[in-house]
Amino acid sequence: MLGLFTIVGKILIGAVVLIAAAIAGVRVLRKVRHRRRAALAAGPRRALLAFVADNGEHGSHDLVTIPDDAWRAAEPGALALLGKLRGEAHLALVSVFLERGVARSALAELRSRSRVRRARAAQVLGDLELRQAVPELCRLLTDRHDEVRVVAVRALGRIGDPAAAWRIIASLDRGDPVPSLLATHALVQLGAEAEVTLSAALDHPQARVRAVCLDALGLLGATGSVHRIARVLRDDAYLDVRVAAATNLGKLGTRSALEPLTLALSPSRPAALRAAAAQALGDLGASGAVPILAGLLGDDEFQVAHEAAHALRRLGQTGIGALVTVVEAERTRVALDPAGAHARPSASASHAQESLALWRVGAALGDRVAVPA
Amino acid sequence: MTAGIIREILHYADIAIFAYFVGLNSSYLGLILLAGLEFVRHLRRVPFAGTDDMFRSPLTLPVSVIVPAYNEGPGIVAAVTAMTALRYPRYEVVVVDDGSSDATFELLRAEFDLIEVPRVVPAEVPYHSRVLSVHVARANPETLTVVRKTNGGKADALNVGINLARHPLICMVDADSLLDPDSLLSVAKPFGDDPLRVAACGGVVRIANGCRVLGGRVVDVRMPRQWLVRIQVVEYLRAFLMGRTGWSRLGGLVVISGAFGIFRRDLVVEIGGMATDTIGEDAELVVRLHHHLRRRRQDYRVVFVAEPVSWSEAPASLRVLGRQRRRWHRGIAEILRKHRGMIGNPRYGRIGLIALPYYVIFELLAAFVELAALVLLPLGLWAGAVDIAFVWRFVLVAYGYGLLVSLVSLFIEEVSFHRYPRWGDLVRGVVAAILENFGYRQILAVWQVRGALGALHGRRAEWGAMHREGFDTVRESAGPVGVGLDR
Repeated sequence: MLGLFTIVGKILIGAVVLIAAAIAGVRVLRKVRHRRRAALAAGPRRALLAFVADNGEHGSHDLVTIPDDAWRAAEPGALALLGKLRGEAHLALVSVFLERGVARSALAELRSRSRVRRARAAQVLGDLELRQAVPELCRLLTDRHDEVRVVAVRALGRIGDPAAAWRIIASLDRGDPVPSLLATHALVQLGAEAEVTLSAALDHPQARVRAVCLDALGLLGATGSVHRIARVLRDDAYLDVRVAAATNLGKLGTRSALEPLTLALSPSRPAALRAAAAQALGDLGASGAVPILAGLLGDDEFQVAHEAAHALRRLGQTGIGALVTVVEAERTRVALDPAGAHARPSASASHAQESLALWRVGAALGDRVAVPA
Repeated sequence: MTAGIIREILHYADIAIFAYFVGLNSSYLGLILLAGLEFVRHLRRVPFAGTDDMFRSPLTLPVSVIVPAYNEGPGIVAAVTAMTALRYPRYEVVVVDDGSSDATFELLRAEFDLIEVPRVVPAEVPYHSRVLSVHVARANPETLTVVRKTNGGKADALNVGINLARHPLICMVDADSLLDPDSLLSVAKPFGDDPLRVAACGGVVRIANGCRVLGGRVVDVRMPRQWLVRIQVVEYLRAFLMGRTGWSRLGGLVVISGAFGIFRRDLVVEIGGMATDTIGEDAELVVRLHHHLRRRRQDYRVVFVAEPVSWSEAPASLRVLGRQRRRWHRGIAEILRKHRGMIGNPRYGRIGLIALPYYVIFELLAAFVELAALVLLPLGLWAGAVDIAFVWRFVLVAYGYGLLVSLVSLFIEEVSFHRYPRWGDLVRGVVAAILENFGYRQILAVWQVRGALGALHGRRAEWGAMHREGFDTVRESAGPVGVGLDR
């Protein structure tokens, strides 16, 4: 036993000394490497900044002829710069990357065995907004690793080619789908040209697909799809999808959305749907919804009454008038109540008071919409 | 004859304790090595993590940051100022003043020009105190809400905050925490990347003592001046950063610090919010979440992100440290007792079969074994069950292995995040890892045993008054930040 202890003790002492030395060694190596990279990147960084400051009109040749090791050191900074640029300067810097063969190697890397390399290449192609890469990036939407699929969706959104819409939608219809919010954002980045595809996908059998397309249509302001969205609100079997339909009808803000949203407020509908419809009516800005919303202030479901009160606030003077009426009616009731000031306030008056208070804050700020619901 | 039997018992007890130390340190080492692999994985993915895309996306899930505050006067303004300036597309900060007897609320009111609004507070999760008033910042009502309530404890304050939270994700942050600007983006990112499965995400907490703090932000990371706090820096690295990352990789994370954790609000509401009958309400919430989701047979993940971070003050005096550690250990004991049906139960998968049994054997009992070693080893020596050669080799191996584990943590920190850039701080870290074994571990064990026994006896927990000086946000001095504690 003692012998074993002695051996283990010696091993431990050795390991402790080794690790302590390794900590110091790692620090020295990192400092040396950092200094070397900083020295290498200094020249290219200056050239890059001058190039960008000049809107990309001069200096592209200098950037293309930078030696490979110096470019490698400066490349992360150049890619970060790319994401911040727009217009001529962006196009000019992209052409520098293309001339240096960065896109070519990234396209080749998309077939690498390493998932990290594939994802990194997809990121670069997205940063470069390279349309030629769309078919290859679409192929990555079925990659066996989710992190690669995620980067591919983001890259396709950046590139903004509407041809990718169907492939992104299809990537939602699998056992391990790409994240819905990410897909929605990418679909919105594809622009109005994707509206037809998105609208058609509202009939997709997968509920997740329908919900994503509804959100994308709402963000795109696709007013041409209102009737289809209203149909989804009325008929869809899934509550989450119907809630998304109600929310996005509110965002689209057309008069024809009033009727389906009003129908969704029926007491027989689930509370989540009624709350979403009440909120959407506030977004819609239709003063015709005021009486219906005022009637919901005393709803048994907290969320429905809460959303109705804040929707009334967003509807402007007519809605505010309705809230004031409820509060004044409450004051009268309290005055007549034998319990006087100790009378318990009604739920409708409480919601109305809350909403009015926030309206006053917003009014003082000169921005009535920015106040929270 | 009897003396012989006693000697035999002492001899085997000493060997059993030695085996326990080897097992304990080996498990730490295993978790730390797993954490090392996770850090490598994380760092390789930084170039395509998409954090900037998340910041720019209008669809990024909004977050309600809930900050319970009790007598936080000295630091509250700096902390809330920093929290309202985080890099995140849409979020609100809900400060819940839990009946402070100091000027916490008045300071906030003066700084943010708070105005009272008659908010209706829903009771989606139960709370036992009375909400006195709700206020919003006049210039930015969407970003900051401050609630005043009667004193009801941290869990109760969090429940009020959960009820008032408007967003689908809730982030619980201690009022003395300083968040890195990107910390919210980082800790919310798993919900965007894997929205169907991620139920909760913990962020790492590091020690702010000694760091330079400007405008509620840690701008220069330094080792604290006191050795007591330096030892805690090493301990936090090993146990919180590495340990929890390791558990996250194993799919067995059961502790998310109340100082910085983010949860899906709908799930927290479903399970009834924070428990008010335990001190360790943060860890209890996570265990209850596991319990709920496992019983529902839901595919879910509870994850941990190692960077960026939340910075907290650590106790700089033995008295305050003792109170903190008694409370922590009492929390562990209470949680394990409350959820004893999950321990060893295959129905709860890795949580029931690996994580919770580990917590019983290597977290709850470690302090008892440490104290037993302190008693039995000299006793064995005195009774002649073991000789001095055995004792010093025993101590060398048991504590040497512990030191090795701490140094491996420092090594992985140096390779991955290297937050302490000064050579002097590196040396101090190594020395602190050595000093930890001489007195610190032993006194910690005493406090922990007292905490665990307090839970077993069901004695009422005492928070006591905590001294807090707050962060130095005005002068650019290198002095240590104030000393204080969460309640």
